[in-house]
Amino acid sequence: MSGIYWGLTVMDLMGQLHRMNRAEITEFIKSCQHECGGISASIGHDPHLLYTLSAVQILSLYDDLSAINVDKVVEYVKGLQQENGSFAGDKWGEIDTRFSFCAVATLALLGKLDAINVDKAVEFVLSCMNFDGGFGCRPGSESHAGQIYCCTGFLSITGQLHQVNADLLGWWLCERQLPSGGLNGRPEKLPDVCYSWWVLASLKIIGRIHWIDKTKLSTFILACQDEETGGFADRPGDMVDPFHTLFGVAGLSLLGDEQVKAVNPVFCMPEEVIQRLRLHPELLS
Amino acid sequence: MFILLWIGSRLRFEDTECWDINEESPYWWIIKGPIVVSIGVNFLLFMNIIRILVQKLNPRLIHFNNSSHYRRLTKSTLLLIPLFGTHYMVFNFLPDYFNVSLRLCIELCLGSFQRSRASTRYRLTKQYGAAYLTICHLPAMHGRVKLKSTAQQEEEKKKEREKKLKVYVATRDACFSKRKEGAMDDEALQLTQQLLSANPDFATLWNYRREILMHLETVKEEGEVQKQYDAELAFLETCLRVNPKSYGCWYHRGWVCGRQPRPNWSRELSLCDECLALDDRNFHCWDYRRMVVKASGVPVDQELQFTDRLIGSNFSNYSSWHYRSTLLPLLHPESPEPPAPTPACAHPPTNSPPNSPHTHSHRVCEEQLLKEYELVQNAFFTDPNDQSAWFYYRWLLGRAEREEMISCVYMSREGERVVVAFSRPVNAQAVGLMLVLDGQLQRVKWRSAPPSARHTPVWICELPPGTISDINNEHNLTVHWTEKHTQRECALYTGRAESWCRDSATDQELFRSELSVEKTSVLQSELQSCNQLLELEPENKWCLLTIVLLMRALDPLGYEKETLTHFQKLKEVDSMRTNYYSDLCSKFMIENTILKMEYAEVRVFSISEKNLTTLCHLDQLLLVTHMNLCTNQLSRIPPQFSMLQCLEVLEVDDNVIESLEGLHNLPKLEEVSLKNNQISKFSQLRPLASCPKLTRLDIRGNPIARTDNIAAELAELLPSVTDLML
Ligand SMILES: [Zn+2]
Repeated sequence: MSGIYWGLTVMDLMGQLHRMNRAEITEFIKSCQHECGGISASIGHDPHLLYTLSAVQILSLYDDLSAINVDKVVEYVKGLQQENGSFAGDKWGEIDTRFSFCAVATLALLGKLDAINVDKAVEFVLSCMNFDGGFGCRPGSESHAGQIYCCTGFLSITGQLHQVNADLLGWWLCERQLPSGGLNGRPEKLPDVCYSWWVLASLKIIGRIHWIDKTKLSTFILACQDEETGGFADRPGDMVDPFHTLFGVAGLSLLGDEQVKAVNPVFCMPEEVIQRLRLHPELLS
Repeated sequence: MFILLWIGSRLRFEDTECWDINEESPYWWIIKGPIVVSIGVNFLLFMNIIRILVQKLNPRLIHFNNSSHYRRLTKSTLLLIPLFGTHYMVFNFLPDYFNVSLRLCIELCLGSFQRSRASTRYRLTKQYGAAYLTICHLPAMHGRVKLKSTAQQEEEKKKEREKKLKVYVATRDACFSKRKEGAMDDEALQLTQQLLSANPDFATLWNYRREILMHLETVKEEGEVQKQYDAELAFLETCLRVNPKSYGCWYHRGWVCGRQPRPNWSRELSLCDECLALDDRNFHCWDYRRMVVKASGVPVDQELQFTDRLIGSNFSNYSSWHYRSTLLPLLHPESPEPPAPTPACAHPPTNSPPNSPHTHSHRVCEEQLLKEYELVQNAFFTDPNDQSAWFYYRWLLGRAEREEMISCVYMSREGERVVVAFSRPVNAQAVGLMLVLDGQLQRVKWRSAPPSARHTPVWICELPPGTISDINNEHNLTVHWTEKHTQRECALYTGRAESWCRDSATDQELFRSELSVEKTSVLQSELQSCNQLLELEPENKWCLLTIVLLMRALDPLGYEKETLTHFQKLKEVDSMRTNYYSDLCSKFMIENTILKMEYAEVRVFSISEKNLTTLCHLDQLLLVTHMNLCTNQLSRIPPQFSMLQCLEVLEVDDNVIESLEGLHNLPKLEEVSLKNNQISKFSQLRPLASCPKLTRLDIRGNPIARTDNIAAELAELLPSVTDLML
């Protein structure tokens, strides 16, 4: 399911969405919705918030949310919120700020954010804030660019970005840029195209995107493109995959590449789709 | 044993001089043999490390456009040569008397490298260790090197893949159909085990296993259940050895321990230790460890010792520093009654409720703070380029979070306006703000500045017409913040057009360190140490930035000149982050200007020729009437500028301004001078139309001044402007 979202979003950003088989994809998503309302990675798999968000994102690209039972999705997401405001990924109860993001992003796309206890959810995400201004998976977990993206995205959707220490977090994020121009996800790690997206989107959300060297980053991302297949890899010379292709293309869009449509840093979808849905996720200036 | 044998043969056969000279003898190889072997082994190790290094660098195509990186790499490799005694390889097979003087010379040169600091050696082992690790543990979609291969190889590979896939799909289908049938047996466990060993991210299969295990709980004896779960843990351990970064494995392990009748937490702890020994940054393992610690009640001080140990063995461990930052405030919380700075004016009584979760203090008591400084200093003296310790140090230097309170109340007869500023952004419509004028509760509508913000420190309202407009009346205003049980009063005397009540930035110690005055001597000595380090490493950006921060904590105004020099240097040595340093420097210069303004007790804010790139702390400038920002590098007047409710005159000549967004609804603004900026479109001037008192506008030297018909268009947009300069 997430694979389809990655692929389709790239196609949409490149203005090529019409080349995909829409009917088949919609049919597939329908058949992945379960009795409980949740959506699974594929047929026969169990439902999970991660894939529920991916499915809702795909249907938003197609402007076809009514293809699934929206009320049931809302019920499913609502049912996963815990006493302390956090969200479980599925009924087995793994807690992670990624799932908090999935929950509010799904509901925002469906226009049903008020279905959950937003204040409690915010309180939980803020309890995962660290000494460096970043966020981890759970309270006490180390900061990680992917998690920071989820948490700043979450706070943007819920209109709580003023709670972020933007100067401190922005410093940590811009220190992710390495001499190669690429960004890593944590101190002392290798650069990677997907982290480039997570760091870049987070910086965009907190209004500090100019703190990194844009020219060097775009050189790095372009060096990760494979000349034979056109896809992007995590690092130059590695195998390409749709995941890194999306984040490479979306990163270039945030850097202002004009061959690509403008991307929304919070939802990682074309800006025009977010505007069509009349969503205005907060961005700091 | 070798040494004994060697000494023996030496003594027996060649006891001449100091054993450094020998002639051709049949026993030569007995003596030389072990040496040759050990040098050979060392050489192999050396070559292997070089091979790994090359492997690690090559496919990644890491661009070193910075010559210092080449230098460092060359230096590391050169250092490796004496470290492994590789140079002996050259002489190994030559008889020892060959060109003694040349030999001595080379050996002395290379050997001198061996005397370099222990930390360098330590750094090297760290680097090569990391090389091993990244090669051994690659996550599913990361780090798979794309290999070029021939068509035939491709074909063979494809066949093999298809074969594997077939087996995988068959097993998966078998699993799914068993689950559909509701089978909860050993065979199902077996099949899922097979699949999960290959793909631990197959979440649905973990779910199936959990269903089966829960079922078995109901049919088996407790002892059996315990055993069943032990087996599950053993299986998980093999999975984790292959895939130490699988979310699914770690979650399942925690789940199993939670279900097991008698969980063995100490075994879990040692598993974590083992895992962290392989990769001390594995955040899955760290999180799991925290869970185990919590479940088994390991005391906090023991955990702090654990980080002591890890940091002691490897300073460059961001994860350990992070863990420390979460433990210290628990173990050594900031004293409940912080030494209050002697207030210049009486603060209103504030009974703030216990800290809410998102304002909970991450601060540490002073005594412990001083110990931490020492630890961090050890770390960054050992490896000044390792960022972990520096990040931690900056946290230690941080300020306490500001108390939530009303920092200013301003009222003006003109417009019958009340402006309230808070110490942090709030949503006044939601926090229960009450306004009482002369004992009467007023119904007012709060609007935010900037207007689009839901949360902002500045809120504005208008009183009903005629309430305070008569200059002969005296009024008393109280603003109640019911949610925080706090309030603020403001008196407007007869004959006065406006009035305010506020805490100044100097009273609030806004821009200072949190250490009490007696401890500034400690900061002073910290600054000294950092300066020493800077002498050794004059290009070290971490050191430069930390010195700036220490200077600010000690005496922001006194060190202003040095601060500017250091920022200049920072932009040179770390050019990728120029914009960050420019913004930070701007922030510090603005803070200094606020302090100067307050010491002078004026309402004029003037900061020119300081290379400002951004404007901040605008909520502190609520009362400013005149502002001079000329000759900086500002590209916009940000939305927050609309907080400046008292501003009358604004000069921003000689900047690069393109956006005037923040010049919105400024009720007292009369004059704006925008000479030599980048205003090129008519729409960029539109916000000015919302400033009712604007009479004088200077836009000379902007691209827009040259457009046709601009005067007429502006006259229509800004009818109040009588003095327009184009
Ligand atoms: Zn990646």
